[in-house]
Amino acid sequence: MIIIERPPRVKPQAKLRLASAPIAGVRSPRNLGLLVGIMIAHFGAVFVAAFLASAVEFVEAFTIVLVIGVTINWRSSLAGTALAVVALAVIVGILGTALIRYVPLETLRLVVGLLLVLFGLKWLKKAIMRYAGLKSLHDEEAIYEERLAELRARGAAPGKRLDPFGVVTSFKSVLLEGLEVAFIVITFGIQAGNYAGMSGIAVATLGAALAFLVIVGAGTLVRAPLQRVPENTLKFVVGIMLASFGTFWGGEGAGLLWWGEDLFLLALVAFYLAVSGLLILLLRAASRRAEAGSDRPTRRAIE
Amino acid sequence: MNRVLRALSAVYDFFAGDAILLAGTVIAFAGAFFLSRVATNALAAIAFVVLIVAALITTLLREAGGRSK
Repeated sequence: MIIIERPPRVKPQAKLRLASAPIAGVRSPRNLGLLVGIMIAHFGAVFVAAFLASAVEFVEAFTIVLVIGVTINWRSSLAGTALAVVALAVIVGILGTALIRYVPLETLRLVVGLLLVLFGLKWLKKAIMRYAGLKSLHDEEAIYEERLAELRARGAAPGKRLDPFGVVTSFKSVLLEGLEVAFIVITFGIQAGNYAGMSGIAVATLGAALAFLVIVGAGTLVRAPLQRVPENTLKFVVGIMLASFGTFWGGEGAGLLWWGEDLFLLALVAFYLAVSGLLILLLRAASRRAEAGSDRPTRRAIE
Repeated sequence: MNRVLRALSAVYDFFAGDAILLAGTVIAFAGAFFLSRVATNALAAIAFVVLIVAALITTLLREAGGRSK
């Protein structure tokens, strides 16, 4: 890893002010392309991370929404989903604004970085274990069947009226899965700051909203659990992104200065990818050895 | 388990859910905060990244060890 000696210290606040400043010369339509390019470079990672993380969580939430829709009715299921989406929007709006307004940026970077690293490592650990065969893959079809049987055993039956149990169950599942998304939207949005009149939180929210529309749209079309979504790959990619961004921002909050500033993020992504790939290979080999060992009959069993 | 403990447990599960990851990450951040003030930037940065990765490796090895038993 390339890390150089300490260059002159630049306060993160100063960096944020620079990022928030209007860009000279991009107001004319001629330079619209340039503006779009700059926006993509600045907010691209935030948008992609929010989109992918949200897609994973919404696939899991959609399975429960589908179960409620099939066993009780779609009115109750969608009412619960809508209520949860409103609650999540309120959480992002209030918490995001309060954090930006009242918490100093350096403290925010440190705390947000720490939480992002924790989230990233948690997701990465699960994805690595699944790739290595230490944990079974998330099976939406099995979860769907299990929940369906649970609800039928409770006596849930289809009806046309709004069912409080259906609304609450749907609300709870979308809210719980969405809380992680809300957290990622807030943290990524805050760290991206404002740029050329665009707010980082707004961009991250757009990513999450697009994921919601794509997943709900696809689910409504197929009317079945979304099994073909490569959940583990998404979890792995998001884990790498969260860990890399958390390390970068958290390190800055702790007082570190990275070589090449924002470009060092790419080095962190490559480093985490290499380490994770190596861990998958090592754990897969160990898992196969353990399986082979357990298949071989022991001396006592032969005797 | 009373309500306060259950709430704390839910917060822990939401943010970490793994004692090794939590301890390793907190140590990495505390170490970086301290080292960036007393040591060279390169040393502090390397220690920071190494401690984070060490937490991930330790928790995965523990899981793998638990399964092979």
